[in-house]
Order: sequence, then C-alpha cells, then structure tokens
Amino acid sequence: MATRPGSSSRPSRLAVVLAFAGATAVAVALVVVALVFRDDGKTSPPTPTPSVELRGIPQDDRLLGDSAATVTLIEYADPQCPACRFYSENMFPALVDEYVRPGRVTMEFRGFPFLGSDSVKALRFVYAAGLQDKLWQLQEALYRNQGGENAGWVTDELLREVADGIPELDVDRLFVDAESDGITQEAEAAEAEGQAAGIPGTPTFLVKIGDGEPYVIQIASIDEMRAALDDALAG
Amino acid sequence: MSDRALRLAGAVVALAGIAVAGYLAWAHYADSAVVCVAGGSCEKVQESEYAAIAGVPVAVLGLAAYGAILALIAWDTPVARLAAAATAVVGLLFSAYLLVLQLFVIDAICVWCLANDVLIAPALAVTTALRLRG
Repeated sequence: MATRPGSSSRPSRLAVVLAFAGATAVAVALVVVALVFRDDGKTSPPTPTPSVELRGIPQDDRLLGDSAATVTLIEYADPQCPACRFYSENMFPALVDEYVRPGRVTMEFRGFPFLGSDSVKALRFVYAAGLQDKLWQLQEALYRNQGGENAGWVTDELLREVADGIPELDVDRLFVDAESDGITQEAEAAEAEGQAAGIPGTPTFLVKIGDGEPYVIQIASIDEMRAALDDALAG
Repeated sequence: MSDRALRLAGAVVALAGIAVAGYLAWAHYADSAVVCVAGGSCEKVQESEYAAIAGVPVAVLGLAAYGAILALIAWDTPVARLAAAATAVVGLLFSAYLLVLQLFVIDAICVWCLANDVLIAPALAVTTALRLRG
C-alpha cells in the first residue's frame, strides 16, 4: 500500500524550488547532450562486399531471373529508403537463392523515388545500369553505401566507385546513359507513376502470376514473403 | 477530483506513454517491421540523426520517463510526488525540443512521436496537481 502523504513529511518550499530548477537544468542538459551526441548519419557504414551473388542469373533491363518463370515479384523501391536497404541486405539474397536462381520467380524493379533529390539521381544510374543488364548489381551496391536522407551522398565519386566494382559494367557508358534525356525523364516521372499506382511507400511488393493482374502483398518477414511466393507458385 | 482518481488518471497517462514509447523503441530496433511511407513519416523521423543520442533511441528515454512517473505515482509519498512532477517537467521540456525538431528541422511529423510528446502535458498536469495536494 502506498503511504498516504502527510503534511509533516511535505518537502520544504526550498526543496520544491530546487526540484523544479533541477528538472529544468536536467532538461536543458539533455537537449545539449542530444545536440552534441546526435547520431550523425545513423545509417550503417558502407558494406564492402555484395550481399548476394548475381552472376549466372539472367537480367533484362529491370528484370532479374528466367523469363520463363510464371511468377514475377515486383518491388517498388527508393534507393534512399532504409527499409529497402534492410530488405536488400537481409531478405533479397535468400530469395534470389531460393526462387530466382532456380528459375521459379522473376524479380522486377520499379523505382519510386519519393524521398528526394538523391533518390532521383540514384534512380537515373540504376535505370542506366539496366541498359547494360546490370541494374540489380547497382541497386544492391547503392544500398550497401546508402547515406543520410538527401545529404548529398549520391555523388559522382560514389557512383563511379560503386560502378567500378561491378564486373562487365561499362562505367563511362553508365554516366552517359544516366544523363540521357530518356533516362532522366523516366527517373523523374517514376514518383508520379508510383503515386498513380497507389504505392503508399517503399518497399512495396506485388506478385504477378503469368499475365494476370499484379496484386499487392503485405510482408513483415522473409517467411511471409516465402509464403506469398509459394502461394503464387502453387496457384 | 479525489487523490485516488488523480493517481488513476496519472497511471493511465503514464501507461499510454509507455505503450507509445515502447512501440517506437521496438520499431527502432526491429527494422524489418517498418517501411518508408510517402508524405511525412515515422521513418523519416525515426531514421533522422536526432532519433538517437549516442546510440540510445530517444524513444527509450521516453519509456524510462513514463516508467519513472508510473513508479513514482504508485509509490505516492510527498517526495515521490515532487519527483514525479519534476520528471514530467523534464519530459515536457525535452518533448518541446523534439516537437521543434520535427516541425522545423527534420520537416516531418511522426504521429506516434507526436502522441508521445503530447501525452507528457496531461502527465505534468496530474503530477503537479498531486504535488500541490501534498
């Protein structure tokens, strides 16, 4: 049982004043500490090696996998989105090994660069890499090097360094293609297209069976993704 | 309003704060559960450089503050009442700072964060009322 407060044990007026002055001082100190020790660039440091081996898997522009596969997993993604990075690093590799490499599922990349200017620039290069059928390597490499939101992290230097690490990618051609009118317009229009499709955020996944209408799947774990793909393959 | 009703109200507010801060702390650590949502999102706020202090998510600070307020209300001695009110003052001022960050610096509103910041006002009102009663 709580002790019923009695007037005899009431803190003195001085104690009350000191308590509130102390509380204010603590709050001010907290704000100062918060500003000094804020986590600059909370995003994880770059990961040097690819999280997934894509060699030997067919690619055609935005598609990854055997074109004969009946099930397509469509991903709307923003290169700046931390949740997309999480998916790319923690779920994508297993899904590639289990579904794409065996030829059961094809993946389709669709950009939804809604987070800002760095997203659009990154997407221009991702689409340009698609012209050399290296889109999936570049998007994976960009997630590994993801920086703070619209902090200007998508620099030419970073892009060149990342692209240099992708075998058989013509980096000079990549830069030319990324600046081309067609790719630029495509990347700039991608956000509007995603909005028109009712995409609420990223990553958003849709499954398409054969030539059927794609449908959105809600997944919070890789097991839910496996279940959704298994359902589609069985159906 | 009786002391008992005030303490009950304080406990309810503190529990609500614990629930919201707990969810935000969980979302901070369980990256897999969150998505980036268009148009002002928790993601932008939660992923901002202000979401953690030296690696400790601010949601964890909120959790600790509401937990302390709840414990002090349960303890209910004059000193505990003073400590609860003082904790709520700290919470209110720090929440004001977080609100300013969301509105003017990060330029994104996170509804859950907003709820957590706003809940501290009734918490302060109740703890102050309890403190004034002795």
